Amino acid sequence: MPVPRLIGEPPGRIAPVAELINTLEFEEMAKRSLPAAVFAGIADSGPSGPDRDAFDRIAFRPRLMVNTTALDLTTNLFGREMFAPIIIAPVPQQNRLHAEGELAMARGAAAARAVMIAPADSTIPIGKIAAESKADIWIEVNAAGNPDAAREKTLGAGARPIFLSPGAWDWTAIDQFRKGLDAPLVLRGTFSAETAKAAADRGIAVAVSSRAMEVLPAMSEAVAGKVPLLAQGSFRRGAHVLMALALGANAVLIGRPAAWGLAAYGPDGVQRVIEVLQTELARDMAMCGRPNMASIDRSIVRVRQRRAV
Amino acid sequence: MAIGLAGSRFGRAQEDPVRDHSRVPSISELKTTFEFEAVAWAKLPRAAYDYMAYGADGEVTLRRNRDVFDEVDLIPRGIQMAEAPKTELKLFGAAMAYPVLVSPTAGHSQFFAEGELATHRGATAAGATMIVSNNSTYPFDKVAAAAKGPVWVQLYPKPQLDANRAYLESAQAAGAQAVVVTIDQQASSYERALHDRNLSYSNPAMRRPPARPGSTNPYRISASRLWYEWKLFDEIRPFVKVPMLAKGILTAEDAKLALDHGVDGIYVSNHGGRSLDYDPSTLEVLPEIVDAVNGRAPVLFDSGIRRGSDVLKALALGASAVCCGRAPLWGLSAYGTAGVQRVLEILQTEFVDAMRSAGCPSLEAINRKIVAAQYS
Repeated sequence: MPVPRLIGEPPGRIAPVAELINTLEFEEMAKRSLPAAVFAGIADSGPSGPDRDAFDRIAFRPRLMVNTTALDLTTNLFGREMFAPIIIAPVPQQNRLHAEGELAMARGAAAARAVMIAPADSTIPIGKIAAESKADIWIEVNAAGNPDAAREKTLGAGARPIFLSPGAWDWTAIDQFRKGLDAPLVLRGTFSAETAKAAADRGIAVAVSSRAMEVLPAMSEAVAGKVPLLAQGSFRRGAHVLMALALGANAVLIGRPAAWGLAAYGPDGVQRVIEVLQTELARDMAMCGRPNMASIDRSIVRVRQRRAV
Repeated sequence: MAIGLAGSRFGRAQEDPVRDHSRVPSISELKTTFEFEAVAWAKLPRAAYDYMAYGADGEVTLRRNRDVFDEVDLIPRGIQMAEAPKTELKLFGAAMAYPVLVSPTAGHSQFFAEGELATHRGATAAGATMIVSNNSTYPFDKVAAAAKGPVWVQLYPKPQLDANRAYLESAQAAGAQAVVVTIDQQASSYERALHDRNLSYSNPAMRRPPARPGSTNPYRISASRLWYEWKLFDEIRPFVKVPMLAKGILTAEDAKLALDHGVDGIYVSNHGGRSLDYDPSTLEVLPEIVDAVNGRAPVLFDSGIRRGSDVLKALALGASAVCCGRAPLWGLSAYGTAGVQRVLEILQTEFVDAMRSAGCPSLEAINRKIVAAQYS
């Protein structure tokens, strides 16, 4: 005789979005909403999942008795004010995740007052996304192919920051791409401090895309405040974002959690994921005695070393 | 919990399929504080157990608080001590038999009907000082009157100075021998609601994440404790006639600032992992704080104490005494007054054994040379 299931989530249930507490919970809801092959591309679990050890080595040094009632997460990037230093990373082909794809992501981003970076292989033309969005949209461009053609494609979308993802271009090609382009440029990738310095010297911002916790201190030194420094690095908690900011990032990019929200709930899920991160970040800033972006510095974190035993 | 059960008779239940494992063991069968947690878990409603057990967010700090004691080794002296180690100390002029106090924890009646009254009786029976939470189920004077042992009072500061004054003055009149002002946990959150939801999806009331009331900012966090400033200590000093401690200190800088603002003792704590997740374990930061305090005031310590050897490690790294929150609550939940007493006695006995194996005849003989840390 089958035993009735009295406790636990019913298998396959999609909980109402307001029930979800942290971004990690959205992954399971996305899994229940997507074909397995599509979900595999945005799953944290499995071989492509993030390395959590980097966060585990870091501890906060919370400073107490600092009045943080005037908490303010306002971030300035490229002369524009942002509600919080949390940006939605370019997630490829969003129509795989939700019928309205990038349009749904843009609506959720706007509701959470967050910037979204439209992916290079968007299923919806950038002009249409920008026209329908109430928030700032940046554009991802793959640094591949003919630089002039790539530039012409972006011009139609208006002047907005361009996020250059790694391809085959060298500095000559990048300079050719920039010619006559009146928009801030962000170079994304995994690179040496020398490359980051060269980018900063050209006025090109830098986004580190892997091992952020380890490379941020050196990258921060290399760009020396000349250009914004962004970081993407499996941030799933406001605490992770605060660690990146403390190690020198000006803002962070959130990819998979936003994709989970989109897949499971559409715009509402994107909004909720970003808002959860904003809330956690604000809360942790308050507990570290850091009421605004300018007050966040290296001294609130300590990186722990373990001795060989 | 599984780690706590390692080596205990409960962990071997699978090897003994004949015996009735559903019985509640008698108190004398339990040999370590960890074993009380299993009994507490069995006896409590799930929400009460979760409230006691939870850590903030992903509970990283909660785990660090235990892990760190495995990363600090006691160096055995290998020489037999003829006499029993002496554990007595004076803290703020008061004599104590052991350097172990009961941390302030909230709402004891959810664990045992007589709540803090039973906790105070158990602490008194074990000769330990109890720090009574600002959020105790019973009023401070009732708790203080329940037994003869010493009590301290803990305060969550209120923005209205008069409210702090009324509470602190009445507590001192009722016998509070020290005041502990908690200054961390300004905006933490509790996620075991998630477990509760998964266990009771059919009850819609359990499914909602906890509301965050009182938010005056666009980030949806409660602002009720964001106003804290160091001048609070200067403002309450005139009506605190007993020693005053700042609880929640995790940096050398804040320890110095607390002393600058007239506190008499530093209380190193990460709120048992319930304040800011990714806080360091307290044992890791204890040396930098002890160095900064430089003998000017006693340094108390909590967050993770479960064994007598933990007590010795904290003292070796400079704590004057330690406090313990969850373990006495396990005792309270499992066996009431007798459980509180027994848990504290186990810590005391294990502490004596640890002192003996480290070759320390008295508390004065405990220093950093008896420990080695595996991290830096």
